[in-house]
Amino acid sequence: MAKQQAAQKRRPTARTHPLDAWLNQQKHAIQFSLQRLWFSPMSTWMTLAAIAIALSLPTSLHLLLKNLQSLTDSKREVPTVTLFLKSNISEQQAKDRAELLSDLPQVVNVEVITRDEAMADFRQITGFAETLETLDDNPLPHVLIITPKLSLLGVTDQDIQKFAQKLEVYQEVDSVQIDVEWIQRLRAILRIANRIILVVSILLGMTVLLVVGNTIRLDIENRKEEITVTRLIGATNAYIRRPFLYNGIWLGLFGGVISLVIVNVALLFLLEPVSQLSTLYGGRFTLQGLDGLMTLEILLASSLLGLLGAWLAVGRYLWKSEAIE
Amino acid sequence: MIEFNQVSKRYPTGQIALYNINLTLLAGEMVFITGHSGAGKSTLLKLVALLERPTQGEVLIGGSPLTRLSHRQVPAYRRRIGFIFQDPHLLYDRSVFENVAIPLLIAGMRPSEIRRRVHAALDKVGLSNKVSSFPLMLSAGEKQRVGIARAVVNRPTIILADEPTGNLDPELAQDIMYTFAQFNELGATVLIASHDHALVERMQKRTIVLQKVE
Repeated sequence: MAKQQAAQKRRPTARTHPLDAWLNQQKHAIQFSLQRLWFSPMSTWMTLAAIAIALSLPTSLHLLLKNLQSLTDSKREVPTVTLFLKSNISEQQAKDRAELLSDLPQVVNVEVITRDEAMADFRQITGFAETLETLDDNPLPHVLIITPKLSLLGVTDQDIQKFAQKLEVYQEVDSVQIDVEWIQRLRAILRIANRIILVVSILLGMTVLLVVGNTIRLDIENRKEEITVTRLIGATNAYIRRPFLYNGIWLGLFGGVISLVIVNVALLFLLEPVSQLSTLYGGRFTLQGLDGLMTLEILLASSLLGLLGAWLAVGRYLWKSEAIE
Repeated sequence: MIEFNQVSKRYPTGQIALYNINLTLLAGEMVFITGHSGAGKSTLLKLVALLERPTQGEVLIGGSPLTRLSHRQVPAYRRRIGFIFQDPHLLYDRSVFENVAIPLLIAGMRPSEIRRRVHAALDKVGLSNKVSSFPLMLSAGEKQRVGIARAVVNRPTIILADEPTGNLDPELAQDIMYTFAQFNELGATVLIASHDHALVERMQKRTIVLQKVE
């Protein structure tokens, strides 16, 4: 009888607080999954390399695009309209016209560049000096550079275009050029490039998903016995899933880290020739690298892809094995 | 504690393993099940551990029918049971310590607590000197005892053993039976399937004989 009472009182396990239990389980799963990575270094490195390469391609394309966009962005801030005046217009006439134009409400500022000033500017640019010596006459027209008031005009390119057409009717004006035209074209091209990169990113993101998923699937295959045994002992699906999910996160995260190394090394490799090219054009363009936010985003995205890949692989296995049970 | 009500089990192959079993085990009892091979000893244990479901009738544990447990509740229920398999199902890439620690890891215990309990369990089965050995380095009897340590480390209310002494020499078999008796003394309900009549008789416990269904 006493024994029966003892049996009644018997508790399966001393209760661990659920939160503590959960934390202990997480800790163990993290530790265990990291150990597993070292357990088979060859396959781990090969998987990581595949992930890193798949990730570094869209990242570097994106960087390229970002750099091209930075070229257009600085010009975009001050869209100006350039009026080339007819060659028979005198300097005084040009200045009068400028004065009249600057009274227009849509105009912030009108800058006059006389033909002599323009000539002087040209002389300063390397390589042109000798060419100009051969000319007897100054072929350059007077130029008015107008900065329009965007708040009155509207900010879209069409608004500026309309404004430019209005300026064309003045009799002194030979031609009007909006210096945003090439930027518009470049931007249109960049928009297409952006789409292409998006598609490439999605495809390569799926590659990462498949690579991680397949690696995890093989790992599950190798540890079937273990899963069966732990299940007999009372492991929940969450417990079985956990180390595999961490495994997926590690693969994604470390693959992301390696891809960042690849991209940054490639950048260093390009830095010198790009700055050389830039000085040849007299520009101050410097190659932009990955900023902190972007780095974080890449690591987050790659970890999530790893997690998702692992989730799909384990989920499929658990679903299948449960159906058999 | 364990109750069978008109339980029958027929496998999908058409083989009838159990037919109309009525059985009651009190809490803290130690019971042997004997019978010829194929008489359904293993099936009976599997029904208790929910490794199989009966085709007819119901199994009650602590008064509540197992059929009422949902899929999600099964793992928690299994953790209250220590199951010792004929083949101990050890993980060969883990040490003895790690094998025995699995139920405690599943329960989410602190590492210090795990260490204490695993050592205590291994001590009880006489393997405290093999803590860091790997299963491949152990004899059949030692492997079986690691399986027992793993089954009892979580202090289950019910201990089920399927031919635990199947491939052991008689002396060792006797030892292991006494180990089970010890756990029973500590309050666990123990149910052992064995075809070794001599050994079962020597233990002087309640014995249930299953007849083969014709």
